[in-house]
Amino acid sequence: MNNSRILIIDDDQDILETMEALLEFEGFTIRLADNVEDGIEMIGEYNPGVILLDVMFPEKKTLGFEAAEEIKKTYPHVPVFVITAINREYAFDLEKKDVKADEFFNKPIDYDRLVKTIKQYVS
Amino acid sequence: MAKIESSEYSSLNKVIGWFLTLRWIACGGVFFSLIIIDFSFHFRLPYRILFVLNGILFLENVLLTMYYTLVKGKNLSRKELRWYFNIQVCLDYVLLLMMGYFTGFLENPILYYFVFHIMLTAFIFSNRVVFLYVGSLIVVLISVMLAEYYGIINHYPLFYSEGRQSYNDLMLIRGTGLCTTLIISSYLITGIKNRIEERGKRVEVELNRYKSLDTIKSNFILQVIHEIRGPLAALKGFHEMILKGITGETGSKTIEVIQKANRRTENLIMMVDEMIDYAYMRAKEDVQYTKTDIALWYAIDTNLSMFSTMAMQKGIRFSSNCSREISLVANQDLINIILSNLISNAIKYSSSKTVVNINAEREQNVVHIIVSNEGIGIKPEELDDIFEEFYRTRKAREIERDGTGLGLPIVHKAVESLNGKITVYSEEGERTAFHIYIPVSSEANTDKPLVGGNNEQLTDSHHR
Repeated sequence: MNNSRILIIDDDQDILETMEALLEFEGFTIRLADNVEDGIEMIGEYNPGVILLDVMFPEKKTLGFEAAEEIKKTYPHVPVFVITAINREYAFDLEKKDVKADEFFNKPIDYDRLVKTIKQYVS
Repeated sequence: MAKIESSEYSSLNKVIGWFLTLRWIACGGVFFSLIIIDFSFHFRLPYRILFVLNGILFLENVLLTMYYTLVKGKNLSRKELRWYFNIQVCLDYVLLLMMGYFTGFLENPILYYFVFHIMLTAFIFSNRVVFLYVGSLIVVLISVMLAEYYGIINHYPLFYSEGRQSYNDLMLIRGTGLCTTLIISSYLITGIKNRIEERGKRVEVELNRYKSLDTIKSNFILQVIHEIRGPLAALKGFHEMILKGITGETGSKTIEVIQKANRRTENLIMMVDEMIDYAYMRAKEDVQYTKTDIALWYAIDTNLSMFSTMAMQKGIRFSSNCSREISLVANQDLINIILSNLISNAIKYSSSKTVVNINAEREQNVVHIIVSNEGIGIKPEELDDIFEEFYRTRKAREIERDGTGLGLPIVHKAVESLNGKITVYSEEGERTAFHIYIPVSSEANTDKPLVGGNNEQLTDSHHR
C-alpha cells in the first residue's frame, strides 16, 4: 500500500500554506482543513495515509487532544501525527492529558524528520 | 440523598466520638456517685428510679455505639446522620432532666451539666436549633419549678425535706441562676462557633483564590506558548520554502538575507522558550516533576545534535565523554534544559575552531557533568552575577545582541529542582567550565546530603 495522501488540520492559514508547499515539494498529495469538524468530515472520502493535526485551537481553551482521540475512535487505522507548539513535557502535565497519537511533532517542524516519518507510515 | 463531604464528615465523626465517650464517663460517674451517696450520706433519694435511669443511659450508649461501629465504614447521608444526632440529643436531654428531677431538681447542681450538652449540640446543629433547645429547656425547667411550687407534682428533696418553705424561697434564686447561665452560655458558645466558622470560610476562600491563580498562571503559560511559538513557526516555514527553492529561483543575495532572517527567527524561538521555561519554574515553585530513567549519554547526544549546525558554522567540534552505564532518575525536561542551555552557551561564547567538551562521571550517588569551552571566559568580578536573572556579561552582549539573560538562571533553577548543585570556573579570555552535580535519584539525596550541600553559596568562583 502506498497512500501519499495527507490531510493537514490546523487553524493557522500560514502554517497550512507552508506545510502544503513543503510537503507537496516532497511529492505528497495534500488536502487542508482549517478546523477539526471539516477535517474529520473529509477523512471518509479522502482516505488519507496520514493526518497531521494541530492541537490547541484557541477557541477551545484546552489543548484539544480530544480531536485526536475522536479521529482515532472513528478511523483507528489512519495514523495521526499531533503537531503542537508545545515543546515541553511539563506543559502537557499542566493539562494532565493522556494523548493517543501515533507521532508527536513540535512547531517549528523539523521537515526532514517529518518527511522521513511520513514515508515510514505510508509505505 | 446528598453525601457529606469528607472534611465535614471527619469532623462530624469526631463529635460523635466525643458524645459516645462523654456518655460512658457520665454513666460511670452517676453509677459510682449513686453508690457512694447511698452508703455514706444517707440521702433519701429514689435510688431505684435513678439506677433505672442510669441503666437506660447505659443501654442508650451501647445501642448508639453498636450502630455507629456498624455503619462507620459507610458514608452516611446527611439525613441519616441528622437523625442519629437528634435521637441522641433528645434522649440525653430527657434523661438528664429526669435525673435532676429525682435528685432534688433545683437543689442539685447537676442541672448545670446542661451547659456541656449545649456545647456539644452547638457543634452539630445550627444556632437556631441551639437557641430553640435552650428556650424549650428553660420553659420546661420553669414549668417543673412551678408545678413543684404549687404541689402539682412531687418534689424529691435533696436537703430541704423538712422545711418545704425554705426550698420554695430558694427556688426563685436557683432557677434564675440556672436559666441565666444557660442563656449566657448558649449565647457565648454560638458566638465563638460563628467566629470559628467565619475564619474557616475565609481560609477556604483564600485557598480557592490561590488555586485559581495557579490555574490562571498555567493556562497563561500554555496560551503564551501557543500564541508566540505558533507564528514564529510559520515564519520559519516561509523561510524554508524560499531556501528550498519551492518559490522559484532566488538570487544568492536574497538567499543570504533569508538565511539571516531564519537564524534570527530560530534565535527568537529559543529566547521565547527560555522565557516560558523561566515563567513556568517561577510559577510552579513546588511542582512535582515526573521522573524517568535517563541514559545520560543519550541525553547528551540528543542535545549535542540539536546544535550541530550551529557548531559547524563556527568550526567547533564536540568532544563528549560519558560512560553508557551512567543513568539517573530525573525529569527529562529539566535535564534537557540544563544540557541545551549550557551547550548553546558554550558554542556561542567559544572562539571558532575550538572544542566544546562534555564530560560526565559518576561519583558515588552523584553524577558530575562538566561542560567546558575555550573562548571569551568570564571576568572574576562577573562570575557572581551570571546566575542572576537578566544579567548578561559585557562580552556576551557584544557577541550576541538577542538574549534574555535567563539561560543560566533557568539552568540554576533546573539544577536546584533536581536537588543538585552547579559551580563555575573561568579564566577570562581563555576558558570556562560549568560543573553540575546531580543525585542519581532523589532518594539518594535525602538520606545522604550532596557533596558540598545545597545551601552553600552557589558560585565558587575560582581564578586559575
